[in-house]
Amino acid sequence: MSLSETADRRDLGKVTDQNASRPTAGRHTIALFASELHLVFGRARTWVTLAVLAGVPMLVGVAIKLSGAEGGEGFIGQVAGNGFFLVVASLALSLPFFLPTAVTVVSGESLAGEASLGTLRTVLTAPAGRSRLLAAKMVALVVFCLVATMTIWLSGLIAGVVLFPIGDVVLLSGTTVSLADGLLRAFGIAILVALSLLGLAGIGLFVSSLTSTPLAAMAATFGAFIVFGILGAIPQIDEIHPWLLMYGWPSFADLLRDPPYWDAIIRNLLLQGGYLLVFYTAAWARLTSRDING
Amino acid sequence: MGAAKRSRRWLVPVTAVAVVAGAGAFGPMVADASPDLPGISAQELLARVQTAKVDGLSGTVTSSTDLGLPALPGMGSEATQFLDLLTGDHTARVAFAGPDKARVSVLDDMAERVLTTDGKTAWIYDSAKREATKVALPAHPAKPELAPEKQAYDPQAAAKKFLAAIDPSTKVEVSGTEKVAGRDAYKLRLVPKTDKTTVGSVTLAVDSKTWVPLQVTVMPRTGKDPAVQLGFSAVSFDVPPASAFAFTPPKGVKVTEEKLPSKVLGKQTPPITPKPGAPKPAKPSGDGPTVIGQGWDSVVVLRGQAPAGNGTLDQLLAQAPTVQGSWGSGKIVTTKMVSALITTDGRIFAGLVTPETLQEAATKAPR
Repeated sequence: MSLSETADRRDLGKVTDQNASRPTAGRHTIALFASELHLVFGRARTWVTLAVLAGVPMLVGVAIKLSGAEGGEGFIGQVAGNGFFLVVASLALSLPFFLPTAVTVVSGESLAGEASLGTLRTVLTAPAGRSRLLAAKMVALVVFCLVATMTIWLSGLIAGVVLFPIGDVVLLSGTTVSLADGLLRAFGIAILVALSLLGLAGIGLFVSSLTSTPLAAMAATFGAFIVFGILGAIPQIDEIHPWLLMYGWPSFADLLRDPPYWDAIIRNLLLQGGYLLVFYTAAWARLTSRDING
Repeated sequence: MGAAKRSRRWLVPVTAVAVVAGAGAFGPMVADASPDLPGISAQELLARVQTAKVDGLSGTVTSSTDLGLPALPGMGSEATQFLDLLTGDHTARVAFAGPDKARVSVLDDMAERVLTTDGKTAWIYDSAKREATKVALPAHPAKPELAPEKQAYDPQAAAKKFLAAIDPSTKVEVSGTEKVAGRDAYKLRLVPKTDKTTVGSVTLAVDSKTWVPLQVTVMPRTGKDPAVQLGFSAVSFDVPPASAFAFTPPKGVKVTEEKLPSKVLGKQTPPITPKPGAPKPAKPSGDGPTVIGQGWDSVVVLRGQAPAGNGTLDQLLAQAPTVQGSWGSGKIVTTKMVSALITTDGRIFAGLVTPETLQEAATKAPR
C-alpha cells in the first residue's frame, strides 16, 4: 500500500471518531438508515424479486384450481378445501429456494454493489462511520426479509380468498381453530421464516464486504447456501446436521400445533442468531479494517 | 501500528465463533450438572421403580436411536408405519392419566401423528394423510394394548421391560445422579456380565421424587455414542384433564372405523429391543419366531423368510460376508448393536449379540 493511502485512512479515522461523538450523530444515523432502505427498495430488481415472490401463491393457487385436485398430502393438499392453507403452503414452498435466492441477491449486493460503483468510498468517508454503515445495511436486510415474507403472506391470502373457500383452520394436531387465529399463526410463520433467513443474510453481508464485484458476492453466498444443502443431505455426517444453517427451517410449522411447540423454533432462532453474530462481526472486522479503496 | 490495531478487530469475529460454538457445545452440559441427592442402594431404587405409580403425567419425550442399521429406503409401507420410530430422532408429546387414558402425538416435520384414547375409543390421526381411524376398544380391557407408539414413548414401560430382563446375568448399580427434564434423578446402571452381547450398559434415570424412570440410555459395547436414548425433555406430574384425551375428527378428514384386533393395534413391536436383525420387516408368514438362549444373549429365529425383494437389501446382503458351519451357510450382517445371520435355507437368526453367538445359536437350533 502506498504512503498516501495510509495517510488518507488515518485522516478518515480521525474524522470518523470526531463525528461519532457529536451530538448530532443520532440524526445522521436515522438519515443513514433511511438512505439504506431507500437504496434497497429503490432498486428495480428488488421490486422484481418481490413481484416474483408475490407470484408464487398465485401460481400455486391457479395450478391447484385448474387441476381441480382434491386432497393430497401436506399443506398443499389442504389448499383446495381451505384457501387459508395457500398462505402456509406458499411460505413453505418459497423457503427452500425462492426466499434464499432473493436474500442472496440483496445481501450480496449490499456492500459489493457500492464498491463496484465507487460509492462505497464516498460512504466510508461520510461522517456516519463504518460500524453504523454496516448496521444500516443489516437493518435494511432484515426489513427486506420481513417485507419479502409479508408479501407472500398477503398475496397468499388474497389468492386464497379469491380462488378457494376459506374457513376455520384445522391444526396439525387435529384441533380446529378460528380463521382469525389461523391467520395470526400464519403471520407468525411469516415472521419466523423471515428470521430464519437472517443467518444467510449475515453470510451474504460478510461475503459482500470481501469483494467489489456484486455478482461474485451473490454467487459465493449462493454457493455457501448450496454447500449447506449438500452437507445436510449426507447421512454419514449427521452429527453436524443440527448445526447447519437450514436444519431448523421446517420448525415454523410447529406454530400450527396445538399448543405451539416452541423448542425447535427457539433453537432455530438461536442458531440463526449464532450465524448472524459470527458473520456480522466478521463483516464488521473486514469493513472497519478495510482499505478505503478496496 | 495502525495495521496491527486494525487486524486486532478480527479478534471480535473469532471470539464470536468461540462463544457461539462454546454455548452450543457446553451449554447443555452445564444445565445437566449432577444434582446432590442422598445415597440409595440399587436394590432400594429398583424396588421404588417397580412400585412407582403416578396418576397422570404429561410431557415431551425425545428419542434418538442409532442401532447402526443402514437406512433402507422404500420401507414406507404400512407395515413399517411405526418402524421409523425405531431409527433416527423423534419428538413426541405424551400425556397419561390412570388407568386407561393416553395420548401420544409424534411431532414429524410439518406433520403430526396423534394417537389418543379415553379408555373406550382410540383415535389415530395422521395430519399428513389427513386420515383418522377410530377404534372401538373392548369394554374394560385389562390394559389397553395401544400401538407400539405408546410403548415406544412410555419410558416407564420401556424401563420395566429391561427390569424384567434383570437376572443373575446382570450387574446392577447406582452410578450417580443427573438432571433429566429439569428434575433430579438417580442413575441406575445395568451392565451385562456376559460378553456375548453387543449391549454395553443400560442406564435408567429415575426421578428422585416420583420414582418414575425419566430416561433410558442403551450404550453399545464399543463406541461412545448411545445406541438408544429415550426420555423426557420436559415433564409434569399433574394429571391432565379428560379433555386432553378427547378427539373430534376435523372436517374434511377421512374417517375409517376399525375394531380390535386391527392390524395396527395387534402389532407387537418391542420398543427397545426391536426385531433386531430383520432389516426387512417380517411378515409372519412362516412359523412364529422362536427364541434361543436367555437374557442378554438370546437370539430370535425366524423361518421361511426367503430374503428376496428390496434391491437395497440384496445389495446389503451381497456385501455381507458369508459364513459356514455345521448348521449350513449364510450371510452375516453386523452393526454396532445388531447382528443377523441369514442362512441359505431361509432362516434368520438375529439378536443384540456378537456374530459368534449367532453361529453358536444356529448350531443348537433345530432345522
